[in-house]
Amino acid sequence: MASLPRPFPQPDRDTTSFWEAQNEHRLVFQKCSRCGHVRYVVGPLCPECHSFEHEWTESSGRGTIYSFTTVRHQTHPAFVPPYTVLLVEMEEGPRLIAQLRAPEGVEVKIGSPVHIEWEDHEKQSLPVFELDA
Amino acid sequence: MKDKACIVGVGESAYTRDVELSKSVLAIQLEASMRAIEDAGLSPKQIDGILPSQYGPTTEELAANLGIEELRFATTVHMGGAAAVASLQHAAMAVSSGAAERVLLVSGWNGYSMQRARNILSTNVTVLPGGAIARDYYMPYGLTVPAQWYALIARRHMHEFGTTQEQLGAIALAMRKHASLNDKALMRDRALSLKDYLSAPVIADPYRMFDCCLETDGAAAVVVTSAERAKDRKHRPVYIMGAAAAHPYPADEFTNREDIFHTGLTDAAPKAFAIADVSPSDVDFAEIYDCFTFEVLQQIEETGFCERGEGGAFVEGGRIEIGGELPVNTHGGLLSEAHVLGMSHIVEAARQLRGNLGKRQVKGAEIGVVTGWGDFGDGSIAVLRR
Repeated sequence: MASLPRPFPQPDRDTTSFWEAQNEHRLVFQKCSRCGHVRYVVGPLCPECHSFEHEWTESSGRGTIYSFTTVRHQTHPAFVPPYTVLLVEMEEGPRLIAQLRAPEGVEVKIGSPVHIEWEDHEKQSLPVFELDA
Repeated sequence: MKDKACIVGVGESAYTRDVELSKSVLAIQLEASMRAIEDAGLSPKQIDGILPSQYGPTTEELAANLGIEELRFATTVHMGGAAAVASLQHAAMAVSSGAAERVLLVSGWNGYSMQRARNILSTNVTVLPGGAIARDYYMPYGLTVPAQWYALIARRHMHEFGTTQEQLGAIALAMRKHASLNDKALMRDRALSLKDYLSAPVIADPYRMFDCCLETDGAAAVVVTSAERAKDRKHRPVYIMGAAAAHPYPADEFTNREDIFHTGLTDAAPKAFAIADVSPSDVDFAEIYDCFTFEVLQQIEETGFCERGEGGAFVEGGRIEIGGELPVNTHGGLLSEAHVLGMSHIVEAARQLRGNLGKRQVKGAEIGVVTGWGDFGDGSIAVLRR
C-alpha cells in the first residue's frame, strides 16, 4: 500500500484516441454515426442503435456540479486529503468525475457551473474543474 | 420457485479482529460450512451443490476438503455484496429444478488480519466486475474506494430529497443497538450516541467513520434444500418465497445512469415480491446489506418499504429498531456485527424466522426480507417465511 503509484488510465485499443485527445487538452465524446447518440464511457458499440461506427465530438468543457465529495481520510498514498472530487454533468449530457481545483474553503454546491482545465502528468493529462467566476 | 426451496442449515466461523485468532480463509469457510451442514442434520458428503463467493477458495478446494464425491452443481455469482442473496436465488433454482438436492452457500474473508478490506480495491480494482471502468475513470481522480464512490450518490440524495446527516446517523445507531443484543457482534459493548456519530472523523463526506462497515475476519454459510426434503430436519424450515437479482443499466458504471438511484434492487424487488405473492407491507423485518449507512436508506426505498425520497424520515424515530415498524439488521449488520459479504444477513433472517432468538427476536416474525448491494449497484433480494 505504501508504495502504490498514482493510478492512471490504461488506454487500450478502444480507448486510446480518447486518452490521446486529453493529452491535447481536448475532452471528446463518442457520437454514434448512425443515430447521433453521445456516449460515455468509451466503448466500441452504440448501446442505443448498435452501430459500431462513431465520430469524436469535442465537449465545450462546461458543465454543472451534479454531486461531489470531499475526501478527508487518506485511502491511497498518492492522494493526500483534503481534496474534493466532483461529478459534473457536461453540457453534452455525459457525467464526468474529476477533481476540483479551487482555493481551500471555497463553497462547493450542487448545480454550480464549472469549466474544464487540464493537469499535465508525465504520460497523461487529466481534466480538473474550476468553478466559473 | 415459490416455496419450493428452504434454508435448513446456517453456521458461522468465529467473527474476530484478533490477529492471534486468525486462520486461513479456507479454514474459516470450512468451519462455517461444517456448522451449517451439521445444523441441517446432514453429513458433508450429502452436499451436491456449492456456491462459493468470488473472493476466497474455489468450489474445487471446498469440495475436496469436505470430501464431497458427487458434486452436481457449482457456480459463482459475481455481484460483490449482492452475491450472497443472488446465490440464494441460484440455490433455490437449482433445488427446485432438480439440478441439485442439497446446496451449500459460503462466504468469508480475512478483511482485518490479511489485506485490510479498505485497501483491496486500491491495490487492484480489476477484481471487481467492471473494475476497468473504475481504474480508468474514477481512480485517477482520487476516488479509489467504495466509500468515496458511493458518497457521490448519497450527496445527490441529500440534495434532491433533503436527507440529513442525522438520518444517516439513525441507521448507524440502530445497527449498534442491535449489536448490543448479539454476543457474536464485534461492537456489542461499544455504545454509540448521535453525538459520537456526528463528532467522528469525516471519511469522504457525507460519510463519517460510523457510516462505514467493519473490517473483520469471518465466514458464514447456509444450506438450501427442497421443501420436500426440508421436512423433519433439526430445525423448522425457512421457505424461500421469492428471490430475484438484477444489474442496473449501465451495469459497469454508476455515474451515468439517467436515474442515479435506479439500481439493481429497483428492478429485482418487485419481481421477488411478485413471485412471493406478498407486498412490502407484509414484511416483519429486513436484513439489508449495509456497506454504508446510505445504502441501507436507498435499499429501503428501492425495496418499496417507502417511496423514493422518504427513506430519511422512514429510518428515524426507532422505526428500524427491534420493536419498531420494520426492524432492520437485527444482528447489527456489516456496520456493527461483522462483515461477511452479506451471508450473515441470510443467517440472521433464517434464525429470526425459526424463532427463539432471545432478546433480539422480532415478535411474531412470519415474513422477512434479505437484500444485497454490490459493486456499482447490483442488487438482490429474497423474501423468506417461516
